[in-house]
Amino acid sequence: MGTLDMNVREIVTLLDAEVITGGERMDKIDVQRCFSADLMSDVLARSHNNGILLTGLANIQAVRTADIADIKAVCIVRGKTPDPSAVELARQKSIPLFVTKKTMFEACGILYGKGLQPVGD
Amino acid sequence: MAQQGKQQSVMDRISRTQEMVYEMTVGEVMASKMVTVRPDHTMAEFRVLLRDNKISGTPVVQDGRLVGMISIEDLISALTDNALHALVGDRMKKKVECLYTDELLVHCIAKFSKLGYRRYPVLNRDNELVGIVTKSSIVEGLLRKLEIEYERSETKENSAPPRPTMRKFFEDVFADEISFTFKYNVVGQSLKHAGKAASELKNVLKNLGICPPLLRRIGVATYEAEINLASYTQGGEIRAQVEKWGVTVEAVDNGPGIPDVEKALQPGYSTAPDWVRELGFGAGMGLVNIQKCSDEMVLKSTVPDGTHLTMRFYYTT
Amino acid sequence: MNLNAMVEEFGLKVKAGSGSLNREVSGGYASDLLSDVLAHAAEGSVWVTLHIHQNIVAVASHKDLAGIILVQGRIPDAETVAKAEEEKIPLLVTELPAFELIGKLYKAGIRGTQGA
Repeated sequence: MGTLDMNVREIVTLLDAEVITGGERMDKIDVQRCFSADLMSDVLARSHNNGILLTGLANIQAVRTADIADIKAVCIVRGKTPDPSAVELARQKSIPLFVTKKTMFEACGILYGKGLQPVGD
Repeated sequence: MAQQGKQQSVMDRISRTQEMVYEMTVGEVMASKMVTVRPDHTMAEFRVLLRDNKISGTPVVQDGRLVGMISIEDLISALTDNALHALVGDRMKKKVECLYTDELLVHCIAKFSKLGYRRYPVLNRDNELVGIVTKSSIVEGLLRKLEIEYERSETKENSAPPRPTMRKFFEDVFADEISFTFKYNVVGQSLKHAGKAASELKNVLKNLGICPPLLRRIGVATYEAEINLASYTQGGEIRAQVEKWGVTVEAVDNGPGIPDVEKALQPGYSTAPDWVRELGFGAGMGLVNIQKCSDEMVLKSTVPDGTHLTMRFYYTT
Repeated sequence: MNLNAMVEEFGLKVKAGSGSLNREVSGGYASDLLSDVLAHAAEGSVWVTLHIHQNIVAVASHKDLAGIILVQGRIPDAETVAKAEEEKIPLLVTELPAFELIGKLYKAGIRGTQGA
């Protein structure tokens, strides 16, 4: 079975998410993996080849972590409003940022069901 | 916002162009189709050649070998001397500055500004003349490459071109000792700005040509070290030194120090206050991550003087 | 689905609270932020996290959660295990990352729930 490419825009649609920044870029970004966590050290510990991050963290560190760990896009769950500093950094680093009202559990369930792969060690 | 995006992309491409001179070789920018003259041609014949081809100079070649260079300046001096019937071989410059196909563009550009000639013959390593480099061929070569990369990045976001390794950069620079040092101050007791140093450092190293997997490791380790400074200390400093063999990153603070270093290194062990945990850190994974990402890690700490963390990363492991 | 079935189906290791595995699971909640769980996890749901600190037991007990699943093979602190036994909160461990475990639970019919 080959790895499936999922467009970030498709993920936004699946999660019924609101795009905060990077809308014009996300059509060009395909991902294969997803990682869900609120603890950033856990995110940093893995290599996220073409992955997105699902997190309940809405502060600047979520975006910093994505930038440092080469994560393609960040989705904030449970409808939290991201801090202005997080939005600013995401814009600066060209990392698409979007918010879904779904819980982390729902968002993971849906994306896994559609074929996104987990991130390995 | 579209305007800003455009500016960003122009800036990206300018810095990309600067990188390219360290990646591209003379062979990639030279014109291999060129006009040449023989030493037994007359200056009058050379004049016709310049006029017909709209050029200002050519290599002089005999039996496939480069024997000299001749330019419009030599023609002017021949005209002044009333010597249009003289042979090219007698009026040409015999001491010729050459470039080789496998030389880096950065050397070639340095030669242009140092010696002031307008064109250089290009030889392969068998000393055969294979092309000619002029300022306009350099510009064309760079534009061609930028265009290819730009098209590639337009069609597929993920297939960024491989960047040159740091090692290659150092091979091109000659000094008994070379290093770059970068220093960042980290504010303590607040995560508000934590990560900025790691992010800036990563950016600098990227521009220096460090390859993405190493870049990620250095970024992650530095970020974790920075988070520690911000969470547990009154503030401190991140210092990075880029050298021929690799990169050293140090995180230094003035206290309070770690009472039990061995315990601090255990996965999951944490003394993080709740405010740190609620911000997404403090799970006792920071030092573990640093250890995992660095090729070498030394943690020295005394209570209450402070902690000195040294991380080393090699270009190849 | 009750916790026993979940342990069976997904190969979870039981670290504590083996006497309370009969409880039916009403849904799932995933978070590593304790305040978030305190505010939003629904009663009777199973909580997926990688926190191993003993505070997780207090949170689960307070919210009357069915159990806690630690992901990525995280080993709970001895204090955490003791506390979970005391509070009769099932403490389960999977080697999978949260995304994958949740994906599988979701496929098996467990839905994300939110309470107050």
